[in-house]
Amino acid sequence: MAPNKSTEEPVAAPASSQEDETMEEDVALQEADAANPAIYNLGDSRIQLLPGGDEFNTSFEFQKEDHTLGNALRYIIMKNPEVDFCGYSIPHPSEALMNIRIQTFPPYTAQEALNKGFEDLIALCDVVADTFTTERNAFAANQESQMQT
Amino acid sequence: MSRETYEAPNTGSGSRAPALGRGNAESALGGEGPATQYKCGDCNAQMKLKRGDPIRCLDCGHRVLYKERTKRMVQFEAR
Amino acid sequence: MARNTIIPSQVVIEQRKRVGIQLETVTNVSGTDFPGNYPDEDHAWDVIKFAENFKVEFHTLAPWDASFSLIGLDASVANAFRRILIAEIPSLAIEWCFVNNNTSIIQDEVLAARLGLVPFTGNRVGLLDFLKWYKKPAEGEEKVEGTDYNTVVLDLQIECTHNKDAARNERDPLKKYNNAHVYARDIKFIPFGRQAEHFSGENAIRPTNPDILLAKLRPGQVIDIQMHAIKGVGSDHAKFSPVATASYRLLPTIDILRPILGQDAVKFKKCFPAGVIGLETVTKKEAAQKGSGYEGHEGEKKAVVFDAMKDTVSRECLRHEEFNKKGEEKVKLGRVRDHFIFSVESVGQWNSDEMFLESIRHLRTKCESLKADLADLKMKGT
Repeated sequence: MAPNKSTEEPVAAPASSQEDETMEEDVALQEADAANPAIYNLGDSRIQLLPGGDEFNTSFEFQKEDHTLGNALRYIIMKNPEVDFCGYSIPHPSEALMNIRIQTFPPYTAQEALNKGFEDLIALCDVVADTFTTERNAFAANQESQMQT
Repeated sequence: MSRETYEAPNTGSGSRAPALGRGNAESALGGEGPATQYKCGDCNAQMKLKRGDPIRCLDCGHRVLYKERTKRMVQFEAR
Repeated sequence: MARNTIIPSQVVIEQRKRVGIQLETVTNVSGTDFPGNYPDEDHAWDVIKFAENFKVEFHTLAPWDASFSLIGLDASVANAFRRILIAEIPSLAIEWCFVNNNTSIIQDEVLAARLGLVPFTGNRVGLLDFLKWYKKPAEGEEKVEGTDYNTVVLDLQIECTHNKDAARNERDPLKKYNNAHVYARDIKFIPFGRQAEHFSGENAIRPTNPDILLAKLRPGQVIDIQMHAIKGVGSDHAKFSPVATASYRLLPTIDILRPILGQDAVKFKKCFPAGVIGLETVTKKEAAQKGSGYEGHEGEKKAVVFDAMKDTVSRECLRHEEFNKKGEEKVKLGRVRDHFIFSVESVGQWNSDEMFLESIRHLRTKCESLKADLADLKMKGT
């Protein structure tokens, strides 16, 4: 025979937010989103300058970034003709830090190059998303019409 | 009561298994003391044994007995 | 000064994009499309040029399985999308198991780990928009109670019993007992608060694959576990990864340099997966053409490339003398460096195509937030 079920009071379900006031709920929701690792912009700056170098030869330290952004950013910054050198590294695998080194041709500064890198990558993402959506919709419509015939 | 207030079994207060109670040596000698629930490994019969009792199923005589699993909820991380 | 005025021909561009594949080696692996790499050529980043050249081609589009080509992209960006799909897009998975009872032979912690890996599906809007993040307490902090918009409660209560209707000499435990096997479908969703609005009936939260075997029981054994599922990301634990696979490969190319005829053509075809190489008959016109290599071979079979995309690039053909004799190579294998054939298989919470769009959005948000951080850095004047 099986042992009896727990005699303890069954564990309560998490509290429902139904009774919460709207204001409280909004704050709670915001906090919940702050816990989302996908949303970073709330909180402290994640970029720092590393010692050494000057405004044309700069190393930036990124917190909580890895190869995902590092390599893509390196590529797009290297596409900038004002940039002499750009490389990235992850100094230690157990620290969530990523370094980017940018060397530029003066008077263009490394920070300008990094800023342009972000802008260019954003533009690239927009193009990819737009083209992808258009093609996806066309393919889906085509698929549907084939199903009907 | 929520599961967040759950205590790990080894830190539990109150009902601790009494079989090892050295402090009760006097009563244990006399075959007294609280009884513990066991289950027979062969015929599944339930029985209560006290300190000093023969470790043996009262029904079938099988010599392998099991203690029952804790009735407390035990929490695990699913990772 | 005439700087950056040379525009390379299409042939040259195609050649630069080609990765060479030999029997044991690969060549021309890295991209060279950077400013300064070729004198007087313009390789600076230009969105308009990129938009003109960038192409997407779809191959399959099903809710949980999509395959498409991204053409004209650099590997670093394609890889960023791939990595985001695997590790950074959130999905729901069981995080805590509260074991009230488990007398099965599978240990509590092992069963808990198994439960965590079960993928769930349900109403898409509810899963993606209504459900928010549960903020995990830092080490040493008290655990915060979950609410209906960040915690999903699931229950697994099952007991194995003898099947009274089974034949006396029945040996199959599935017939002899009730609930001899515990499957993912036995996990029940318990809605509370506003969850019923989003997840009820067909839209209930349920295992994507109902037939996952979780444990085996014998009569008298019981499992009684309540579970809390929260959202998480794959970089924290693989159970939160929303994809079964998200991968890309480069488009293979096969160039037949000299005619492959007769029995050789049949053998050549066998070197590749089905549908890659086809056999055609040499026409009279081809046979009449001087220097084509077809002279006097009218009516014979010749090998033709039908669909290089199906090739797995096993390089089998290069092992045979007749195709790969030094100085008389008949075939050249390669890959196109900027043609990525993606395959995205969702595990149930996202549609594959939507998930890829989300990965693009994700990379974009990353850039946006870091750009703001950089602006702050400038203001501080470090």
